[in-house]
Amino acid sequence: MWYHKPVINEELLQSLPNLKVVASSGVGIDHLDLKLLSSYGVKAANTPYIVSTDTADLGMALMLASSRRIVEGHEMAVSPDTEYFPADWLGAEVSGATLGIVGMGTIGYKVAERAKAFEMKILYHNRNQRNKEEESAVGAVYCKKIDDLLQQSDFVLLAVNLTPQTRKLIGKRELELMKPTAILINISRGLVVDQDALVEALQNKVIKAAALDVTYPEPLPRDHPLLKLKNVIITPHIGSATKKTRWVMMEEMAESIQAGLAGLPVPREVL
Amino acid sequence: VGKKVQAIYVWWHKPVIDQELLQSLPNLKVIANSGVGMDHLDLKLIASFGVKMANAPRAVSSCTADTGMALLLASARRVVEVHNIAVSPNMEYCEADTLGVKVAGAALGIIGMGNIGYKIALRAKAFEMNILYHNRTRRKAQEEQAVGATYCEKIDSLLQQADFVMVVVSLTPQTRKLIGKRELELMKPTATLINISRGAVVDQEALAVALQTGGIRAAALDVTYPEPLPRDHPLLKLKNVIITPHLGIRTDKATYMITEEAVENILAALNGLPLPNEVLPS
Repeated sequence: MWYHKPVINEELLQSLPNLKVVASSGVGIDHLDLKLLSSYGVKAANTPYIVSTDTADLGMALMLASSRRIVEGHEMAVSPDTEYFPADWLGAEVSGATLGIVGMGTIGYKVAERAKAFEMKILYHNRNQRNKEEESAVGAVYCKKIDDLLQQSDFVLLAVNLTPQTRKLIGKRELELMKPTAILINISRGLVVDQDALVEALQNKVIKAAALDVTYPEPLPRDHPLLKLKNVIITPHIGSATKKTRWVMMEEMAESIQAGLAGLPVPREVL
Repeated sequence: VGKKVQAIYVWWHKPVIDQELLQSLPNLKVIANSGVGMDHLDLKLIASFGVKMANAPRAVSSCTADTGMALLLASARRVVEVHNIAVSPNMEYCEADTLGVKVAGAALGIIGMGNIGYKIALRAKAFEMNILYHNRTRRKAQEEQAVGATYCEKIDSLLQQADFVMVVVSLTPQTRKLIGKRELELMKPTATLINISRGAVVDQEALAVALQTGGIRAAALDVTYPEPLPRDHPLLKLKNVIITPHLGIRTDKATYMITEEAVENILAALNGLPLPNEVLPS
């Protein structure tokens, strides 16, 4: 299964009586109906850990690209109309700024490790608090209430998985709690953010900018307002898109499939 | 008016400090620069008029190191290219066009391990990169260990091993065209060149050729010669090049800090005190 295709529904499962295993690329499993699969005796597996580093790297890449206006800057640098670079063209500093990580799982924690090297102040919100060693290793401060994180952060990075609880986690209320100079980075799932509320917030300068590796749907319709905003960077869900990682993902999926077919325990099975 | 001027704050290389200007300002005591690079100033000429010079090294280092990392990541993950794909009216694209290079475990070769270069090493270490560096002088063992950096006495050794080559030197007669045809040919065909120093440190024509022929994979340049490049320059047309408008220190915070540093130096000079960041002609 690659990028959520084919769609696994009742019809497909009924037409494949000998289906034993579904190997899904990446870590997210929000597109899989696990109960349905289980009822047909089909096992499911993902590729959770291998994607974490590249996804964390992309989160950092998007934060830096957005704050320093790399995409806009490149456009200016190569545009046929450019005669000089204006002296008042500025970005926002990352070093020493406050990063709020929403979702401190494997990926969120790797982002924190990287951000620490930029002398960033790190806040995080998670279902559970991490232990003291983990917190002090990256200098992260727990925010039990997401509001506290939103109000203090210069950068808000979303690294949660998509569940009924995280759907539209960031909506109008949350965006209004953020600083007007804040930047939102989403490397989780498009549905975690209320996109219409985000468009409005960006247009009305409620927040400063956004960088999104994920949207809903993917890709967005070509007339979507997010595509036209200068203060938005969109990447086509490339969190795990490096040759090396894709290679390992393929190997892992093949391994899970072989085990499933041989009736052996399935590596990286999702229950 | 000329007699009243005691200090000049040079902002983005203006005003141009030449013989004529210096002669018209007999009471000039100090020139403070808005940044760390002094290659645009004739240090000997200025000193010959008894005028002191200062730069702003502290304010720029973190900000410029951030720029280096931003460009490294943007190039490795093809952020500019894929953004254009994501917002393009045409929805057809090949997944191969979005595949980037893994940064974790890759070798970063830093050419010029001064304040800025070292801050880059600190950041790159957190990305699990292996760090090589080439510098006029070797850093202390403790400093090397703190970032896991390996010294390459010969630049060739660095160029042959690095997946990412980051150029962070100041522009001097010795570093002019430091990266030319020979150096580009020593680099891996899968390597990326990032330049955050000065355009003149790289032989731009040789770079364009290397990028066009697959000599190296990609380049990200915050600096060029001149700035901006002429609109018909080959570098502007290459898909595997990111060019940014010398934004190394272009943040609100850095601008503020640079000006603070400059004012500190100017006040010291006017009060006959030692300058915190005096630059002498070498």
